[in-house]
This record gives sequence, C-alpha cells and structure tokens, in this order.
Amino acid sequence: MLLHYLDLSWRSFKRTPLVSFLMVLAIAIGIGVTMTSLSVYHMMSADPIPHKSSQLYAVQLQTMDEGHTWWTDDNLPMQLTYQDAVNLQSAPLPEKKVAMMRTGFSVYLDSDKVKPFTSNARMTTPDFFTMFDVSFIYGGVWSEQQEQSAAPVVVLSKELNDKLFAGDNSIGQLIYLDDYSYEVVGVLADWSLNLKYYDLNNGAFNQPEDLFLPFSLVKTKELSSWGNSNGWKHENINSYADRMQSEIVWLQFWAQLDTPEQKTAYGNYLTAYIEEQKKRGRFSREKPKYSLRDVNQWMQYNNVVSEDNKILVGLSFMFLAVCLANILGLLLAKFLRRAPEVGVRRALGASKRQVFLQHLVEVAMLGCFGGLVGIVLAQLGLWSVRQSYDYYSSIATMDITMLLSAPVIAITTCIVAGLYPAWLVCKTNPAIYLKSQ
Amino acid sequence: MLKMNNISKLYQTEMVQTHALRDFNLQVEEGEFIAVTGPSGSGKTTFLNIAGMLEPFSSGEYLLDGIDVGKLNDNQRADVRNQKIGFIFQGFNLIPDLNLYENIEVPLRYRGIKASERKRRIEQCLEQVGLASRAKHLPQQLSGGQQQRVAIARALAGEPRFLLADEPTGNLDSLMARQVMELLEQINRDGATIIMVTHDPELARRAPRNIQVVDGQLADFTLYQGAQNLKNVAGA
Repeated sequence: MLLHYLDLSWRSFKRTPLVSFLMVLAIAIGIGVTMTSLSVYHMMSADPIPHKSSQLYAVQLQTMDEGHTWWTDDNLPMQLTYQDAVNLQSAPLPEKKVAMMRTGFSVYLDSDKVKPFTSNARMTTPDFFTMFDVSFIYGGVWSEQQEQSAAPVVVLSKELNDKLFAGDNSIGQLIYLDDYSYEVVGVLADWSLNLKYYDLNNGAFNQPEDLFLPFSLVKTKELSSWGNSNGWKHENINSYADRMQSEIVWLQFWAQLDTPEQKTAYGNYLTAYIEEQKKRGRFSREKPKYSLRDVNQWMQYNNVVSEDNKILVGLSFMFLAVCLANILGLLLAKFLRRAPEVGVRRALGASKRQVFLQHLVEVAMLGCFGGLVGIVLAQLGLWSVRQSYDYYSSIATMDITMLLSAPVIAITTCIVAGLYPAWLVCKTNPAIYLKSQ
Repeated sequence: MLKMNNISKLYQTEMVQTHALRDFNLQVEEGEFIAVTGPSGSGKTTFLNIAGMLEPFSSGEYLLDGIDVGKLNDNQRADVRNQKIGFIFQGFNLIPDLNLYENIEVPLRYRGIKASERKRRIEQCLEQVGLASRAKHLPQQLSGGQQQRVAIARALAGEPRFLLADEPTGNLDSLMARQVMELLEQINRDGATIIMVTHDPELARRAPRNIQVVDGQLADFTLYQGAQNLKNVAGA
C-alpha cells in the first residue's frame, strides 16, 4: 500500500505543480538555513578524536598567589609557566606527555625556487605525534636524544613539503628558519582538523601548524610565543631567562592517561609537585588546585561553541518553523480541496486511518524533496560562510551525519506540519461530497 | 439482509432541528431490486447514506447481514462497506486523475486484494460493461453514459452483495439511462441486491419493488398506488 500511496503522492504533485513547487521551496529554504547553522554547530562541537578523547588530558595548575584570580570558571590559568611545563615534562609519569608552544619562523631554502615566507610552527616534545594520532608519509619524529640536545631538526606538514619540495621525499634536506638551518626528519601525512583542540588558546579553528620542532629549542633559540601569554603579577623581565623563570603562563601541556588508575596516580603526583613547589616559594595559596580535563571537557571549558552559535541554531529552527507554518497553510488548502475525492475513497472502503496515512506519505514525500533541495541550499550557505570567514573554513562543511540528517529533519518536520491537515481531511464526511460532485 | 427499525436522523443547528428520517422501518431480502422514490428533500439520499454507512443515524437499529451497524467503529464500518456494498452515484464520482482501470482498482486496493486477482476482476468488470478497450482512458475522455458504466464496473469489482444507486441515470439521456437500467437488471439477475433512488417513474416501474419516502418516513405504498390509480382514472 505504501507504494500506492507514493504513486498517489507523485500524481498529486504533478496535478498541482505550482503549489507543490512553492511548498518544496519553502521547506528547502527552511532546511537550507537550519542545516547551514546546524552543520557549523555540529562541526564545532564534534569530538575531534573520538577514539581517545577520554584519554588525553589538558593539565592546569593554580600558580597564582592568594587573592589573585583568573577569569576562568574555576579560577585556573589555561596554560602553564615554562618552569612547570619543563618540570612536568621531565616527570617520571605519565608515559606519554607533551609540552608545547606556538611560534613562527620566516622560511626559505638555499635556492631561489621559493620566495621566503612566514609560517606557524609548533615547538613540541616527541610524544605529540603519537598522542594526537599524527602519521608520517616520509621519515618520522625526532629522537629523544635529539630532543634533549635541542637538535636543529624539523617535521614538515604535507602542504609545506609540497610547497618547498614539490611533494618529494625531503628527508635529510635543509631548510632555513629565520637564520638557522634545520634538517627535515619527517613529513606528515594529510592532517586536517576541524578544531585545533590541542591548543584552543591560539585560534581554535585554525589549521595545525606547518612546522614542528623540538621543544628544547625554545630555550636555546630563545623563541618567542606566537600565542597568548598571561601573567597575574608584576615581574621585571629583562631577559629570556627571566621569562623562563617567571610566572607568566604561555605553554600548553597534555598528558595521556589511559586508565582511571593512571589518572588518579597522576593527580597524586601533581598534588605532590605543588607541595614541593610550595617549599620553593611558589603556589603560595592555601590550597592550590590542579585540573585534568579530557578533550571534550577542555572544549566545553574553553567555550569552543559560543552562546552566539547556540542562539543562531535556535533562530534557524524558528525560521524553519515559520516556513512550516506556511506549508501548513498550503497543505490545508490543497488537502481540503481534495475532500470530494476523499469522500469517494471513503465510500469505496477507505478507512480514516488509510486516508490519514495517504496524506502523511504525501507530506513525507514533500519533506524528502524539500530536504534534498535544502541540502543544495545548505551547501551554498556553507560555501558563502567559507568565502566570508577564513576562520570557519574547516568547520563550515557538512559531514555524512548532517547530510543524512537533512532529509530526516525535513521529513519529520513536514509530517508534524501535515498532521493537522491530514487529520482534518480524513475526518471528511463522505456523504456531503458524494451528492454534490 | 437489510433491516432498519425505527431509524431516525436528526440534523441539528443552533437555530433549527431537521428530521431527515423519522421512525424509518424497512426490511430488504436478499436478491431484491427496490426503487426508492419520493419528492426532493424527503430523505431518500439520507436513507441511502445510512444504508451505505456513510452517515451515522441518530436513533434506531440497523442490521446488515445480521451485523448491528450502530455498534461498529469507523474502521469496521469502512471494512463492511468495502466488503459488502457497492455504490453508484448520480455524478459518477470517478477520480479524474486515475484511468478507468485504476478507478475500478480503488476499492480492491483498500480490500488488500492481490494485484493478479485485481487485474482479473477489473478486466472482467470492464468486459461486463462493454468498456474493455478503454481501460487506459481517463474519465473525462468518456461520455456520461460510459462514465456511469465505469462507476457500475467499479461497484461490481468488489463483488458486493448489496448495490446502492443514487439517481444512477439522473445525468444521462433516455437512451443511455435505459442501457444503464438494463445493466442493473442484469446485475440483479446475477444475484446482487439493489436499492436505487430515482425520480424517474418509468425506471421505478421497472423495479420489482417500489417504496416511497415522504417526510422522512416510508409511505404506505398501497395507499400511494391507489391514489395514483384514482388520478389516472380521473385523468382518463
């Protein structure tokens, strides 16, 4: 019977092409707008590393003195001081941990093939690549020994390798960063992130950096941060050494804790670390806190999805509701005009339920068409978002979930809008129309 | 087969109450062909609608094949209507978007009959009404008489035991009306019970049993026939 209802629905569409087109257009516009904002919201809030997001923890330490506050909900700085980052990096646990910082260099080769340009770089420890599941097409990460000795080595992103070496295997090649030469030891495979979750302080929706270098170079090359640096007290900083010993927070630190036991053990370690630092005159609060937040908690804590985005999604659904109200009116007119035919069908043995289902199938088909056209409109909307804001280039897209959601939302909302007209027409008293037709 | 005891139908608005039927009693036996006559507004169509379960009645008892119709819900009424009753309307009431084959198919689909059986019945019925070659035509491509024959084929396809016809020849010229009447007589001879509302005295006379509805009640037909005879004598 479903196929029969589908056939009747298609005939109904052809019988009133203009009204049907207007209804499809109304639902398509509503779905287009809704899916545009919903897709951005979905991509912003999606778990960026679902298989291990609950094992990766951002570390926070409450370094401020008593009486000093931070603007975060729990009064904890989002980044660490250099000395804490270095201390935690050299700690016996956990097995995998990473201290890092965003910086940048002017990049050039010992040839005139490529003009010098500036590029973002991440100074990081070797565990970065295994912890955040980054793979290589050529070479690999620098060794622990190279990390300790601040060896001048570099890992390139695929894009940068394409730009500098036309995608060739560049392992062993030299590139110049500022005034120093660095040997390429690895080239990353494609690594595109919707959200740069490992450093939300410095452009959450920016793409990962193109250069990755040993963290130990921060000290030897006295590299400045290209990210946020925050302090909570006045300090005289006259040299790079002063900065490294200061209470300024400017580094990110992550730990991989695979089990609850490891998390507890690391928490105990951090408590002990704070106590030890207290003896050295730091962490002078009565009860300094630490925090370990997994990836999703970290995203929530950093308000990656802002209230504005949530309001925008709400408004787009309200717009969809307005479109549906229009459709409801058109459906009422269309279905009630068909009451005489319904009267005949009822006289010939159709139950109210069958008439109701026939009309619901018709609105579902309408929703399906509207959803499909809506996907096209949403793609246009997302394209215009990408064109307008570079910032959203990685998240103004529709993944498979959103692609499948569009017709489901369209069909569901159309059925909701069609319930009343379908109910009204199935209540038709056949006797009224049989004589008058 | 059909038994109505004290059936009343009251239409009520804020301003006025109208008794369309009042204490209406009728018994119809299997295989009868009954012509229902009466002045306009007398309640003929209301009677037919109630007989076909298209309208509820206000009070009384209606038994169809022993089934107490008053106790059925909407779905059950639709089932009984679909299984036992065929309708023929004055305005044919064919669905304009469907061709003849599909129009006749409508009640069969609601009954859940398989496609092969539907095809057999539809072809047989179209053959019976002489329109086998027009199966793919749309209703508007046919004359009024042909459309009514399609409507009859649609009513027959469900193999109903009970055929209700409301002015089946009302929109047809006399030649076509006669053809349709002959078709109905044939259907009756084949075993179907027919109740036909008509204004046409000639057609009514061809039915073996005549009843008259006046002011929502069944008139005493003996008295009515006597009055007609007196009128004829006076006229002569």
